[in-house]
Amino acid sequence: MVCYLLFEFWYKCIKDKKEPKVANEDPKVDLFEDDDEFEEFEINEEWDDKEEGKDTTQQWEDDWDDDDVNDDFSLQLRKELENNAEKS
Amino acid sequence: MAYLSMGEAHRRITEYLNRFSDAVLTQDGSSLKQLLSISSNSPLLLSLADALNLFHDSNRLLKQSDRFSQISEIVSPLFRSIQNFRLGNLLDSYNAFEKAANAFIQEFRNWESAWALEALYVIAYEIRVLAERADRELASVGKTPEKLKGAGSFLMKVFGVLAGKGPKRVGALYVTCQLFKIYFKLGTVHLCRSVIRSIETARIFDFEEFPIRDKVTYMYYTGRLEVFNENFPAADQKLSYALMHCNPHREANIRMILKYLIPVKLSIGILPKNWLLEKYNLIEYSNVVQALKRGDLRLLRHALQEHEDRFLRAGVYLVLEKLELQVYQRLVKKIYIIQKQKDPSKAHQLKLEVIVKALKWLEMDMDVDEVECIMSILIYKNLMKGYFAHKSKVVVLSKQDPFPKLNGKPVNS
Repeated sequence: MVCYLLFEFWYKCIKDKKEPKVANEDPKVDLFEDDDEFEEFEINEEWDDKEEGKDTTQQWEDDWDDDDVNDDFSLQLRKELENNAEKS
Repeated sequence: MAYLSMGEAHRRITEYLNRFSDAVLTQDGSSLKQLLSISSNSPLLLSLADALNLFHDSNRLLKQSDRFSQISEIVSPLFRSIQNFRLGNLLDSYNAFEKAANAFIQEFRNWESAWALEALYVIAYEIRVLAERADRELASVGKTPEKLKGAGSFLMKVFGVLAGKGPKRVGALYVTCQLFKIYFKLGTVHLCRSVIRSIETARIFDFEEFPIRDKVTYMYYTGRLEVFNENFPAADQKLSYALMHCNPHREANIRMILKYLIPVKLSIGILPKNWLLEKYNLIEYSNVVQALKRGDLRLLRHALQEHEDRFLRAGVYLVLEKLELQVYQRLVKKIYIIQKQKDPSKAHQLKLEVIVKALKWLEMDMDVDEVECIMSILIYKNLMKGYFAHKSKVVVLSKQDPFPKLNGKPVNS
């Protein structure tokens, strides 16, 4: 655990080093503002609240973490690693 | 304004009084509600306002008939509110409306059935929006805006009237949602807690009994609260409920739900499909999603920088920043797969040096020690399974499932 805390600290130091905190002015948040106020439904507003047809698998992917390494990014990464391997 | 005779003004006011009195006598909630929605600018209320502003002595009409004595406590301040609203005196309009609302609650308390719930909803809504306008007026002349806070206290009182046994309790969630809107606007969201406790622990409420419009709004706001508390499984459950049950034609509301649900889903390793981001114009998330898919730390950093303001305002910046570890996991996994394709026998030995090089390519200047630190965190958080051969600067990955998936659970903390 102690080890871990050290790591966390270390990690934070690394991050801080990478992203020097700019002395930000106080963010100007309006005193009376909520950008995302939910729109009022009408008092008598009704709608068809059936769950069928609202298949969540159409909206979300949870099995995206595949082993495919043929996208552009991976191909560049491969090239980069190979180049470096030759040099070292 | 077209010419309005005194006789016509008199007629309009008397007609309004008769309608009000009849609605109460016959317990007709939906007629009553139309007489109260001041901010709707309905033709009925506009023409009444003009009549009131011409005919100064409307109180005389109120006293003139016994029929009106029961409603005069409500209607007399209501008239003042309507008049002032029409004249643009929003502070005066609010103050008078608050008096009328208090008088209404007195009566409402005594009505045994819930016939006047719809009218009460209108009162709860009006007091909030009138208070917001009054506060804007106060702020514009350099005074302290305090009316919205006052409207909050009033609605807490209304909540108390509803939250008992009996048929009026189904109105409690509507009032709760108006309170949430006030607390979120004022930045006093901690005040939501006591109302939530009443709703969620009281046996007298069966949540499913409430109207759907209130359930959806309630789940949206409590979901946002869970995002602030970084309780992602609960946030997922509440916001998903809101998304599932929201009126499909209310696209603006669906967009707002998604704005919070997407970072929550990302944090538990679930990605939105692209069409969802496009359809609801949430493209600020598309590079974040791309970064997760690729393992592209540079893209994540740029995406966060580019939309920093927007993410900070929504309060999801920290949630998104924490995705960094998942992006590291994805990058290391890709390096591992690339290695495996080249030489399967040595794939599970990952030289730190190689990771340093990949990071350098992504414009992240780290030395071997720093990378070792990151790898330790990945191992500690169970995003990676393996151990260090410290001397040879190598991570030895577990041969079985070296990069466990989150499967809908948050990263260990």
